Amino acid sequence: MGEIETLARAIQEHAPAASLNSDIDVLSSYAIDGLLPRLVVTPTTVEQVAQIVALTNQHSLSLLARGGGSRINVGELPEQIDVLLETNQLTQVLEYEAPDLTCHVEAGLTLAALQAQLATKGQWLALDPPDAVQATIGGLLASNASGPKRLRYGSLRDLVIGLHVVQADGEVARSGGRVVKNVAGYDLNKLYIGSLGTLGVIVDANLRLHPLPIAERTLLLTFINATEAMQTVIAILGSLLTPSAIELIDAGAASDMSDFFGINLPANGYTLAVNFEGGSVTIDRQVDETRLLARKNGALMGDDLTGEAQNRFWEVVREHTRGSVTCKAAILVSQIAAYLEQVEQVCRLHDLETAIVAHAGNGILYIELRPGDATPRLTQAIAELRTHAKEVRGSLVVERCPVDLKRRITVWGEPGSDFYLMQRLKQQFDPKGTFVRGRFVGGL
Amino acid sequence: MSITALPPTTLHVFERISPMKKAEVVRELTALLGARYVLHTPYDLMLYEYDASIDRCTPDIVVMPASTEEVAAIVKIASRHNVPVVPRGAGTGLSGGAIPIYGGIVVIFTRMNRILEVDYANLRAVVQPGLVNLHLSNALNPEGYYYVPDPSSQRSCTIGGNVGENAGGPHTLIYGVTTNHVLGLEIVTPEGEIVQVGGWTQDTPGYDLTGLLIGSEGTLCIVTKIIVRIVHLPEAVKTMVAVFDAMDDASNTVSEIIASGVIPAAIEMMDQMILQAVEADTHAGYPMDAAAVLLMEAEGLREGVAEQVEQIVGVCNRHHARVVRIAANETERQLFWAGRKNAFGAVGRISPEFYVQDGVVPRTRLPYVLRRVGEICASYGLRVGNVFHAGDGNLHPLILFDSQIPGEVERVRKAGHEILEVCAEVGGTITGEHGVGIEKQEEMALIFNEVDLRVMQQIREAWNPRQLFNPGKLFPMPGRCADIKQL
Repeated sequence: MGEIETLARAIQEHAPAASLNSDIDVLSSYAIDGLLPRLVVTPTTVEQVAQIVALTNQHSLSLLARGGGSRINVGELPEQIDVLLETNQLTQVLEYEAPDLTCHVEAGLTLAALQAQLATKGQWLALDPPDAVQATIGGLLASNASGPKRLRYGSLRDLVIGLHVVQADGEVARSGGRVVKNVAGYDLNKLYIGSLGTLGVIVDANLRLHPLPIAERTLLLTFINATEAMQTVIAILGSLLTPSAIELIDAGAASDMSDFFGINLPANGYTLAVNFEGGSVTIDRQVDETRLLARKNGALMGDDLTGEAQNRFWEVVREHTRGSVTCKAAILVSQIAAYLEQVEQVCRLHDLETAIVAHAGNGILYIELRPGDATPRLTQAIAELRTHAKEVRGSLVVERCPVDLKRRITVWGEPGSDFYLMQRLKQQFDPKGTFVRGRFVGGL
Repeated sequence: MSITALPPTTLHVFERISPMKKAEVVRELTALLGARYVLHTPYDLMLYEYDASIDRCTPDIVVMPASTEEVAAIVKIASRHNVPVVPRGAGTGLSGGAIPIYGGIVVIFTRMNRILEVDYANLRAVVQPGLVNLHLSNALNPEGYYYVPDPSSQRSCTIGGNVGENAGGPHTLIYGVTTNHVLGLEIVTPEGEIVQVGGWTQDTPGYDLTGLLIGSEGTLCIVTKIIVRIVHLPEAVKTMVAVFDAMDDASNTVSEIIASGVIPAAIEMMDQMILQAVEADTHAGYPMDAAAVLLMEAEGLREGVAEQVEQIVGVCNRHHARVVRIAANETERQLFWAGRKNAFGAVGRISPEFYVQDGVVPRTRLPYVLRRVGEICASYGLRVGNVFHAGDGNLHPLILFDSQIPGEVERVRKAGHEILEVCAEVGGTITGEHGVGIEKQEEMALIFNEVDLRVMQQIREAWNPRQLFNPGKLFPMPGRCADIKQL
């Protein structure tokens, strides 16, 4: 009997309520970058998760947690995956203190299910990543997902107030707590967010909530070039205006949206979508002032979206960050226009096309490169785009790409001078390599 | 090494250094920095034996580096001689974070207090750790910008110290604390390596070391450069004072304001004892006979502020506010705030000493917890006043005492401990912004179990295994050389 069978037996014995599956067809459907796990385990309680991790550790095998799978392919190619631990049965809302604007939920709950429950009290978790129906809280945390409204609300590091995380030896450790302000001990929440399951399995989270906006409006502006669009963005950011999101959309992305989703955006130049939330009087004033600023910078006025049309627009924008080859570049706002010009040059040189959607106010660009199967050209282009990003204090991560391409590039780029500190943390947290290696920065 | 094999936290990590070793270390440090910037005589060191907490301990040597490279060189000397290093900002900390409990070298940053770069287009500033918090905003104000975190000690505390403690302040209610405003750091490790973490942009690849290091209380690294976010000054600010005849009414007002979805920039509460002290000191116009006062601020666009003020006044009135006064102009607004920000000092006028706690509770539990605070202090025969960030549920009970009275200090410690027990019981925490330091080491066990603490210790084990930096802090650890400060 092989070691994985021994482990499966042990799990059956110690956590009989967890379901196990090693059927080859099932395993294939859980493949990550083409790599099949050897066993899929679906626990129904946190205790079972702890038990399964402990047993995996004792058997010197490796484990990876999976939520809804929407971002499971983020990262470098994984090394061996013995156990894939599915969290989708951990869906309880453990506490919801609406008057305190906090909640405590299990990691397998989907974002959409959580938002639906919070909406009944006029609140929400101020996070708008793509695919809320599929994505779970645990997966979003592990991969530090975010969306356009991070401009106003920040990202998960600003919204998480506590976590329970199963450690490599199966012990469950708490970090943070249930209150919004807390400096007791090291802020481990920050460490776990975005650590891609390399330090532990997040099993539940205490989250800080926000009231749903009273009203919301989106102004669409069109520019002939990126320079004018970004001048407008900088003018808005440096003004009294308080937009919740500023999204920059290039012609490639705009034409997709028009073709597939029936949203009419001009097929040349750049579109800027500026979202405002709050009372209607403040929104009106902000929309007016934004129009003025934009006009000074050469904008053509587009639609003014509200209601269903607005919801649909943002939904489409969010989904557009998930092409078959999508790079996420972090670039200072003042450098975005110049960077976009470099992107254009690089793509022309390598005969590639782009569809770009950027959180322009945050300096986060999602650059989709096409065609997605032009592996050698893409390899070259990505290397050049990364070099250009680094030249201006930025970075570039390949968030999504086919396995073929992934073999030829580094997803995260070369680790920085702080990498040895990260290695030491990983070594302390997971000395036996219980959590699947390979996917995170520098192969951690 | 597995986590169960970590060294026990109670280990006595350092002995005081011998005069001979001290002479050698002083010689090396003097060669590096010049005699002017190396203090080592008892007279010179006395100033650095305390902070704003109630503990004290004298360092052996105090150094004043002028650059990151000098900090790194100091650390290498300390490491070679195995002498502990404690970084210190302005010494305004309230939990003993800057107290060198094993002596050794205290590093102060008065010569590293510059603003290195301000980038208005990208809303970033790069500063050195010794920069006084308020000096950054003062430099940015003429251009219409400011730095958000505003601890009450902002006129003297440093941004390096703020990073070490993850400091907050009244205006963190909507904007968050220090960690929400820092993007990157330059640090010196216990090996004396200079390392950049985080950066100018968001979402730098890898673990969020910036987030981990902020609030690590000097136990993991020495910060030598800080990249912060700056923001535009608001168009309009309205400051209100609501007067209540019952404490519960004030507490319930806070809960309802937050629950209704109106999140003001600040909601501060002061109880009667504080009001009387503040009035005697600042003459801000606070009523001395009220049970509690809420100091609230709405800011943003004119129209939005007007709307918020209307809603807030409505809630106050529903909860029987005697009166709600809106500051008529900037002078009056500053006066209201002066009353609040000088509250600690004002209490110094009515009591020889006081001890301040920093527990946080869910806002909805404020009425219960404030009652319990009163009961606990009464049971020890101690007077207490409350002045705190009510919007965050962050309490600051000030327990008055006189250390000349035998047994009083012990009673204060016990009352403080019981208050934190109540905070923990209702799902809160033991510190919202002051840090654990020496003061609350024991109380860490109220909110974290052995596993939680062991996992945290892995961090220190990974980066500062010899505890060269700020030894003996943060984690439960009986036995210390520090004494209670005798004022």
